[in-house]
This record gives sequence, C-alpha cells and structure tokens, in this order.
Amino acid sequence: MSSQTAAGAIDHHHDHTTSTGIPNKKLFMWAFLASDCMFFGSLISTHLIYRLHPPPGSPSPRDIFSIELTSFSTFILLMSSLLMALAVNATQAGNVRSARRNLLGTIFFGLIFLGCQVFEFNHFVHEKGMTLSNSIFGSTFYTLTGTHGCHVAIGVLWLTLMYIRTFKPVDADSGRHAWLTSTFAHVILFAFTIVIWMYLVLQLIHVVSESGLNFASVGHWAGEHLLLVIIGAVLLVGLNIMGRVRGATEFGEANAIDVEGAGLYWHFVDIVWIVIFTAVYLLEYL
Amino acid sequence: MDASVRSSFIGKEEKHAVEKRPWILTRPTAKSGLVSWLTTVDHKRIGLLYACSALFFFLVGGLEALMIRIQLIVPNNTFITHETYNELFTMHATTMIFLAIMPLSAAFFNYIMPLQIGARDVAFPRLNGFAFWVFFAGAIILNVGWFMKSGAPDIGWFGYAPLTSRAYSNQFASDVSTDMWIMGLQILGVSSVIGSLNFIVTIINLRAPGLTMMRVPVFTWMTLVTAFLIILSFPAITIALVELMMDRSFGTNFFEVSNGGLPILWQHLFWVFGHPEVYILILPAMGIVSEILPTFSRKPLFGYPIVVFSGACIGFLGFGVWSHHMFTTGMGTVATAAFALATMAIAVPTGVKIFNWIGTIWGGHLMMRTPMMFALGFVWMFMIGGFSGVMHAAAPADAQQQDSYFVVAHFHYVLIGGSLFALLAGIHYWFPLVFGRKVSEFWGKLSFWVIFIGFNTTFFPMHFLGLNGMPRRTAVYDGNMGWNQANFIATIGAIILGIGIAIYFAVMIYTYFKGEKAGRDPWDGRTLEWSIPNPPPEYNFAVTPTVHARDAFWYEKHHRTEIEQEKAEHAKDEAGHGGIHMPSQSWFPIITATGMLLGGLAFGAKDAINVTLERSFHLSADHNWGILLAMGGGVITFLGAYFWSLEGPGGYHVEPESDDANAKSAGYGSHH
Amino acid sequence: MTAGAVAVMPIFFGGWSWLEGHQSTLQTKGPVAAEQAKVFYVTVWVTTIIFIIVASVLAYATLKFKARSSDEENAPPPEQSHGNPLIELSLIGASVLALVIIAVPTLKTIWYDYDVPAAEAKNAYEITATGYQWWFRFEYPKEQIDGSGKLVTANELVIPAHRPVHINLRTVDVIHSFWVPKLAGKVDMIPNRGNRLWLQADEAGYYWGQCAEYCGESHAVMRFRVIALEEKEFDQWLENQKKGARDLKNAAPANATETPKAQFASYTFTPKVRNSPGWSEEFDSDPFGHWRKDQQIDAGENMALIAKGRQLFTQKTCAGCHTVRGHEGAGIVGPDLTHVGARSTIAGGLLENNVQNLHRWITDPNNVKPGNKMYYGSGAMPGYMRRDQNSDAWVQNFTVNDEEAHALVAYLRSLK
Repeated sequence: MSSQTAAGAIDHHHDHTTSTGIPNKKLFMWAFLASDCMFFGSLISTHLIYRLHPPPGSPSPRDIFSIELTSFSTFILLMSSLLMALAVNATQAGNVRSARRNLLGTIFFGLIFLGCQVFEFNHFVHEKGMTLSNSIFGSTFYTLTGTHGCHVAIGVLWLTLMYIRTFKPVDADSGRHAWLTSTFAHVILFAFTIVIWMYLVLQLIHVVSESGLNFASVGHWAGEHLLLVIIGAVLLVGLNIMGRVRGATEFGEANAIDVEGAGLYWHFVDIVWIVIFTAVYLLEYL
Repeated sequence: MDASVRSSFIGKEEKHAVEKRPWILTRPTAKSGLVSWLTTVDHKRIGLLYACSALFFFLVGGLEALMIRIQLIVPNNTFITHETYNELFTMHATTMIFLAIMPLSAAFFNYIMPLQIGARDVAFPRLNGFAFWVFFAGAIILNVGWFMKSGAPDIGWFGYAPLTSRAYSNQFASDVSTDMWIMGLQILGVSSVIGSLNFIVTIINLRAPGLTMMRVPVFTWMTLVTAFLIILSFPAITIALVELMMDRSFGTNFFEVSNGGLPILWQHLFWVFGHPEVYILILPAMGIVSEILPTFSRKPLFGYPIVVFSGACIGFLGFGVWSHHMFTTGMGTVATAAFALATMAIAVPTGVKIFNWIGTIWGGHLMMRTPMMFALGFVWMFMIGGFSGVMHAAAPADAQQQDSYFVVAHFHYVLIGGSLFALLAGIHYWFPLVFGRKVSEFWGKLSFWVIFIGFNTTFFPMHFLGLNGMPRRTAVYDGNMGWNQANFIATIGAIILGIGIAIYFAVMIYTYFKGEKAGRDPWDGRTLEWSIPNPPPEYNFAVTPTVHARDAFWYEKHHRTEIEQEKAEHAKDEAGHGGIHMPSQSWFPIITATGMLLGGLAFGAKDAINVTLERSFHLSADHNWGILLAMGGGVITFLGAYFWSLEGPGGYHVEPESDDANAKSAGYGSHH
Repeated sequence: MTAGAVAVMPIFFGGWSWLEGHQSTLQTKGPVAAEQAKVFYVTVWVTTIIFIIVASVLAYATLKFKARSSDEENAPPPEQSHGNPLIELSLIGASVLALVIIAVPTLKTIWYDYDVPAAEAKNAYEITATGYQWWFRFEYPKEQIDGSGKLVTANELVIPAHRPVHINLRTVDVIHSFWVPKLAGKVDMIPNRGNRLWLQADEAGYYWGQCAEYCGESHAVMRFRVIALEEKEFDQWLENQKKGARDLKNAAPANATETPKAQFASYTFTPKVRNSPGWSEEFDSDPFGHWRKDQQIDAGENMALIAKGRQLFTQKTCAGCHTVRGHEGAGIVGPDLTHVGARSTIAGGLLENNVQNLHRWITDPNNVKPGNKMYYGSGAMPGYMRRDQNSDAWVQNFTVNDEEAHALVAYLRSLK
C-alpha cells in the first residue's frame, strides 16, 4: 500500500503497487473486454442462428451487401488500430505531440468507418429496402453491426476526450475555472465539427455518386450547403486554435496507462469487427 | 488502490494545502449525516448500503411470498386475483434473486472481502459507489410498477418469449410493466458487471504482501469465482433483454413468431445466464460457510485446495449445463443426454464441498454458536436440495418434475436452505466485527430453530405436491386433486418461517442499539478481518499486514512476537509517507446513476408517457416524448461521468490511531 | 439398483394419500410415465442411500465433537490438520460411481421416451394438439370429414387405449406445455417449433391433464382431460364425432322476436363467486361414467328453447369464433362446439359440463377464466367487451341475460 514516489523512468510493464504487477486499470479493462466478448458472442450467435434457420422469404444477403465498401471500411478500421498503437507508444515515450497526432488519426479513421456504416445503412434501407423490422435478417444485421458501431462511436468519444485531456494545464486546479470551461468548449466544438463534417461528406458522396465527380457536382454541393460549409470551416479553424498549446501541460508518461486502456478497448473493437466481418459478410460469399 | 497508484496526486496535494477547485468539482467531505452516505466511497459503508437495501427488498419479497402462500392455503381461494398472483410470483422471484440474495452477497463482498485480503479499499472506490447507486436505480425501476396503473410485471422472472411480446403482454397502450422489467434488469446487469469487475481487480491486485492466491480465504475465492461468473453470464441476458427491447420498442423480429422469430432462442440466451446465476447465488454462501465452520470447529478447513478448485470447477461447469432447464422443450435425444450427463457431473464438485465441510468439523472442538447453527443448517438443507437436483438431472424424471412444485421445493432448499441460511449465518458471524456488538445466543438460536422448522414445514411437503402433479405458477387449484393437506401445511410453515425471520431481524435491530459489546476477535477468528478493532476504522488496517500462512490471523496469534516486530517496521515505513492515503468522497457516482434512473424510467414508461401527454396535454404524437426524456437521462449520465473523470480520484491522508494498546487490552483469541 | 428395489418404492411412496391424486406422477397408467417413474425411483434410491450415509456421519461428527462445557470450549485448539487427499479422491470416485448408476437408466429412458418404439410405430395413432390461451384444440389428421376437413375437438382428447398415440404439439400464441402426468411427462408447445410426444394408456379411463408452462393470466385454469377408450367404444365415438351437429329441424320454430320464457327453464341458476370449484363429489367419484352418460341425449329437451338458443348463438356473435358443424357456427378462433354437449367438461377442462356451470360460464366468463378471449375478444373480433378507440378502456359490447343464457345452455347441451 505504500505509495511509491515516481522517481526516474516509469516502468510501463510492471506496477509495483499491485500484487501482480499489472496496473489496476489494465486488469479492469481486460476483465471488461472478457465480458464484452460475451455480449458480442450472444449477438453474433443470434445472427448466425437465424442465418441457419432463415424464415421463408428472407432477403438474400449477397444481393444486399456491397462487399467492396465494407472491405474498405474494415481496412480503415484495421489501420486505425495501428495509429492507436503508435499513440500508446508515443505517450509511453513522453512524446505528447506525437501522441496527439496519432490520437487524431485514430479518431479520423474511426470516423471514416462510422461514415461508411451510416452510408451502408442508408443504402440498405433506401435502395435495398431492408429495414430493422421487415425481416429477421434486417433485425439481426442492424442490431449486431449497430451495436458494434456504438462501440466504435464510444471509442471515438473516449479518444476525443483523451485528446482534449492532453491539453490540461499544470495549474488546472488554480480556481480560475479556465480549464473546466475550455475543456467543455473544446468537447462541444469537437462534437459539432464531427457531426457537421460527417453530414457534409456523406452529402458530397451522395452527390458524387449520383452525378459523378466533376466541378459542377462539387460546386452544387457547396452551394446547397454553403452555410454549413462555412460553419464547418470556422469550426475547423477553431479546433486548430484550441489545439495550440499554451504553457506546460499536465499530461505525460504517467497517463500512458489511460491511453493504453483506451487502446485496449479500441483494438478489441477492431478484432470484434474482424469476427463480424467474417461471420456476417464473408461467410455469405463462400 | 486507484488513488495510491497515482503518486503524483499525493505530492501535489501537499504543495497546495488549500485546494481551490471549481464549485462543480468541490469534493464532499462530510463524515457523518446523509451527504456522507450519498457520497461515500468507503467499501464498508457501501457494503452496509447494499445490506440495508437487500434486507429491505428481502422483506418485500418475503411479503410477496406470504401473499402467495395465503392464496394457496385452500383450494379455489379468492384472496387475490389471478393477475395479482402472477405479478406476485414474478416479482417475488425477481426481487429475491436480483434485489435480495445477490445484493446481500455483494454486501459481504464489499465489506468483508477487502478486509480478508488486507486491503484498505477496493481498486476503484468511486466505481464501487456507482455500482451500488445503479443497483438502487434498477431496483426502483423494477418495483415502480406496483404504484402505476399498469401494475407490476407479470411475465414470470424468466420472461419467456412470446408472452413478453406486445401482443400478449399489453392489454392497454399505457401498460408498461414489461418494459419496466426489461429496463430494470438491464440496469441491474450494469451494476452487477461493474461491481464484479471491481472485485476481480481488487482480489487479484490488492492482496496484502505474502497473501498468495492459495492463501486467500475461501470466501474471497468464492467472491472471485462469482465475480467472473457475473461478468461472463450477465452479457447473455443483457443481449436477450436488448433484443426483446428492440422487438417491443423498435419493431424488430428477434422473437416475433409471425416473421420467423424463434422463441426458443430467448430460452437459450436466458438460461446461458440463468444457470450460472444459480451459482452466483450459491457460491458466496458456500464461501461464508467455509469461513464459519473452521472458525467454530477451531481447526482449518479440510482440503482447502480441493474446496477452492471445486468452487472454480462448479463455476466453469456452470456454463455447460444451461439446457437442463429446457429438458421439456424437445431438444432431441443427444442434446438432452449431453446436458443430463453434464448436470450430473456438476454434482461431483458440489458433493466434494459437503465432504470437506464434514471433514472440517471432524475432530474439531465445535462451539455451537448461532452462526455455526445456521452453517450446519445450511449443510443439511443444501444436501437435500442437492439430491433433488440430481433427480432433475435425470431428464426423464425431470419431464414429470419440470414446472411442478417439486422444482419449487428443490430450488427453495438450495436458495433458502442454501444461500439464505448461509447469508443469515454470515450476518450473525460478522455482526460483532461490523457493529461491535454481539447477538444474544438465546434469541439467535431461537430464531434459527423457528426459521429451520418453518422452512422445512413450508417446502418439504412441496416435493409431494410436485410428484402428485401440481404445476407451478397456478393461482388456484381444485380441491379434488389431493393437494389440499400439503398446501395447507406449507402455508402454515410459511407463516412460521415469517415469524422466524421477524424474530431474527427484531433481534438484530435490538442488538444494534442495545446488544452486548463484543470484544475484539470474539470468535477466535482465523482470517485477517478479525485482526482489526471493531467497528473497523475507516482505513481498516493501521499497518498493512504481511501474510505468512493460510489462516493468516490464526498464524499471527500464534507467532506474536515476530509479527509485532514486523508490524512496527511497516508502521515506520508508512509514517514516512505521510500517513495512510484515503480516497476522497464524490458526488458523481450518484449523479451518474441518477441519470440512468431517469433514463430507464422514461424509456420503460415511454408508451404511458406518450399516451398521457397526447390525451391530457394534446402534445403531438409525432414525437416520441418518452424517448426524448430518456435521452435527457442519458445526458445527465454522460455529464456525470464527464465531471467524474475531471474530478480525479483525489485523496487525503489520515494518521492511524495507536492500535497496539487496543489490541493488547482485548487480548488475542479471547472468547467467552 | 435392482428391479426389486424399484418395485418396492411405490409401496412406500404410492401408498401415501399425498401421491394418489388425479395427476400423480407415480401412479402411472402408461409405459412412458412408468419408465419415467422408474428413473425417478432409481434417483430416489441412490440419493437416499447417500443421504443416510453422509447425514449419519455429519450427525455423528456434530454430536461427538460438540463442545459441551466452557472447559471444552476453552481447551487448547485441536490439531490443525489440513485434509487428506486420499479420502478426498476416494469420495470423488464414489460419487462418480453413484452418478453412473443414475446415468445408465437415464440415458436408456431418454431414447425410449423420445419416440414410439419402432416395433409399434405402425400401430401408432396420430393426433395434433394445439395450445391456445387458455384451452387445447385436438385434431385427428386421419379422420377426414367430407366437406369440412379433419375431425377437430377441444379440451377432451379421446384416444384409443392399448395403442401408442403420437401427439404433434403446436401453439397459436405463447408457449404452453402438454402434461398428462399419469400417461407421460410434459413436452412444451413452442411457436415455430415442431415438438411431439408419445404416450399410451394401459387401460381405458379418464385422465387429468393441465398446461404446465406459464402462459398468461389464466394459466392456472388451463386444463384438459384425456379419455382412453377400448377399440370398439373409440370407433363408436369417432363415428358420432364425424357427424355434424344434431339436426333438430322438427323442433318447434321459435319466433325471433319473442324472448324465451323463464318457465321453459328446467333449473334455477345460482350465481357462484369467482374461482368457486367446478366439480362435485358426485361427478368426481365416477368421472368416466359421467363422460359416458354425457354421450347420451339429455332427458326432457325443450325444442323451442333449443331453437331459440341456436338463434342467439348467431345473434350474440358466438358463431364468429366457434364452429358448430352443420349449424351456423364456422369460426375457428374458439373451441369447436359441434359436440360440446358430449364433453364432460367445459371452459378448458375447468368446470364439469352441466347446466349450472354452462350458465355460469356464459353469463360471467371473466370470473371463471380471467382475461379470456371470449370475454375480451380476439384481434379485431370483439367479445363481451370491446376496446374504446378514444379512451383505450374496455367497454361492454354485449351481455347475456338470464333468459338468454337458459336458451344457450339448452342449445349447447343438445349438441351431442
């Protein structure tokens, strides 16, 4: 129980204050992921059971899926895991700038994955006519992939908060409310930016897929959403300003365990996606 | 500990003697009064909160049971309606399982387990508080139906689809009892999983130096196994509930028969959770008994490694036998045979425990105190329950017993004769430690005998009712079936059992206020929790103990000089660090849980909310106001968690009171 | 355990009045239930012997090692022994052995119970039982009726004795469970799942059954009977069942506007409180005899009243849900009533079939079987009550008064 003063380098692989040497947070995360395995296990089983016992008139998944898009988003999610690992490494090495860059990269890739999923769901509902309630396949597919999407979204939120956390100044508790207010503003700004740009990009893809990638279609898109584009641009500038560092921050090697926890979660969500991609998509093409 | 790991905080706090923080992050510091309980992060106080709410719901569930028995005292009784009866047996089971036995076990996990491993708190103290408040939110949501027009849930605690679908469970649009049940159980699941993750980390990581896994007291071991069972089995029911919720709220087809849904899937998901749940209820009880029997036999547990491994083995096998609840669902011969054999196999590690308990008392000096009476009562009753369990494992015999009173008799022998007897034993056993007072032996034993007689009078005749073909969950029965006498006797037994429970709690309340003061270590205990003063100080151990043997405190008592020397050195060490570091209290666990309460209530009652708003306030039916309100609850939860993380675990230092004088005057191993 | 030991158990258990009820699982009347009871006896013997051994040791240890005085309590603690692996292992071995004794008959019986033995498969009679909230429909796939499909009856399953009966189990709504304890253990009726069971009655007789899976508000009163008949009587019964409802054209024509006169009534109805029993000692002493008597036409039938009842059967929309083959009724939501007068029970096996109980059931259905579909309606079809669109509350759709009930009772009793 005696508190060890953090003298010298932090050993990221052994925590002397615990019986096993594994940091509490890491152990907690591992145990939670074991539990989460069972969540996804139940959902995937449900999906597979209904694929093995399809009621008459079930839609054929091959007619619905667009495997190219899903393969692309799977690849993106895998790459995000790489960036996540780099972020953890950077934090452990005390390189906060690199950690921030990699966190942003992970968030960005995660958002691309989510965007693909939104696009896919939209496509399935409006063009393939498969809704949550008009077939068992729809029910199990949307619930399973949607639950995974929620996990990714929670991961994105977590990494966003982690990114913002890297800006915490050393004198955060000095009573001027500055950190509390600015962190809150930062979160709100980030959230708006994400929502607006995801909407804009999806609209752009929609326009491009309808009338091809040319100046006119992009111009049309920009014109139609002029106000949003301007707001989006302003938000980006705002984020950039918030992202500038003033003074010393209280984020470093001691926080590596927090980033590592988020990283474990992120990798787990990726692995689950690999399983889902195999079980739900690839198996249909056997 | 969460806090002590973050050594940087300690250093900083010492620099800023007066901490200035934004008002929203002001740490509560009250040490007594309501605020201290609402914001507590002390595992002992959280344990007491669990215990009080569990005992309250135990009494509620008991009253429900009494009403059921009164309805069945004579054939064709009109005491209550069929509908009320169905609500009562649904809520009796749900309450006893999720709101009484599980949280009572959690109370012991919280209070006793950290003391047994020589820790000063659990790994994540604020999360521990959160788990309790979330439990409380779930309990409210489950029971709120009693005060609503739609009534309490009446779908059975097992909620078999498609009886839970909108088509069969809603007579009115405002009938939301099933939705409330779904929300309540989901939220309780969150609480159980979070609590268990915390216990797992605590047991694995916060053991005192020298306390290897094979020296850990059996109760702590069973806590660990139970926690693993919870985190691995609750997801199954949570997903089943999510699918049901999607069916009811968003029109999916998981259990929608007309679109090809398979109601049998619900049963599989439910029992993949439901069977481990049985062991979640009984393993803590086995742990408690494995503490009490050695203490009052004054010798170590017989075959400690086998008891530990059989517990783990039960936990493991517990995941492979779920379909024995479904022998009558037409699974086919091979599946039925496989699950029958697996179920028989699980009887072996269970039997092993009985042998070991008998081995423990063999050759001991048995001190027949009240906890020992309850523990021995447990062994007897659990044996009977176990044997009727073996009868169910024989699938063909089960075809007759399934859903008959024989099953009711079986699981009450396991859950009352088993779990509850052990928990009542545990309350008696640890009462002197927690409150520093001892229950009168006369009244304690009287309550034991009344409970024991009442319990057997109630449930033994039910074996015969079941064999004579009386099905469960029936509000009335005809007088020509040969069930009248046994039912009458069972009801009389239930009243005796009720009186016994009343005596038990009356004695406990009396003792709390006026009981005889207990000296330190009143039972000549064997494990570390008895090494500290009673009631325990906030920091538990003035000096973190070093463990040299299995029954750590027994060893200490018999190797006093070297231990005292060792302790003095450790105390000097800790003093060098500025005293004992304690985690700060926090408002955010309860705030975050309140968001879940509001969200759960609004989502569960969304149909009723929408109907009411539309009819009474003419609000547009285009918006789903209930879901909007639920999202409001979600926002509170998010903000709570957000400020929680900004607040940081904090911490402060206390100087332990001198413990030595206290210890010497009480004397080691004193008993009366 | 030897066969002899198995045979002794019924004397011990079966001799006790607590196990002699109509639904006793131990006083079996068919091979399936008998095999299941045998497995049960094996488990009882094995566990009882183990219990006696273990309990004696436990009792002995408790008494022998109990500290009886404060001197004994304060004596120095006993030897701190930690166990004995050899004892542990041999006890584990013994437990496994005991379980093998149970496992062998268990496995044998699992296969035996599952389907009609191959040698008798050809002889098996086939029936489809369907669960409804809260009654059972029985269909005889082999008994075709010209122009109206297969023979259908409700709540009383008549089967040939001494012959295996193969029952397909279906449900139209929630999960039910088919259980006739004296003939066979239960098997559930689960939506989208084709379950089945087989049973055989070793003697002609009257057997009690009940739904064994919680299925909603009136689960407790969802009951049925199985009546096993010798071959000749069974064939007679089939022949009668295949006929349409009795043709009573020669009955005096009733004036549609004229209400039936109370003096037509052969009985005075005594209202009953909720849940009051639907059986009498007299009936219970010889239910099979009563069932046979119910096959005969009642004495003193009042043709005018019957004709009035037949009219009311349509006017009160009964015909929308109930089939009376040859008469007006053609609904399939409720039980087939073509030969309801020839059943010994009504209301899903709950009440014995007599004028008082019919009257009670028709005039006050919700107090007999709360929540039933006759009272609350089914789907778009309203019952005695209907749902008010604006307030979402139940409002009265129609009632059956005393005089109307007399006519309906007379009509239903005439349907032999």
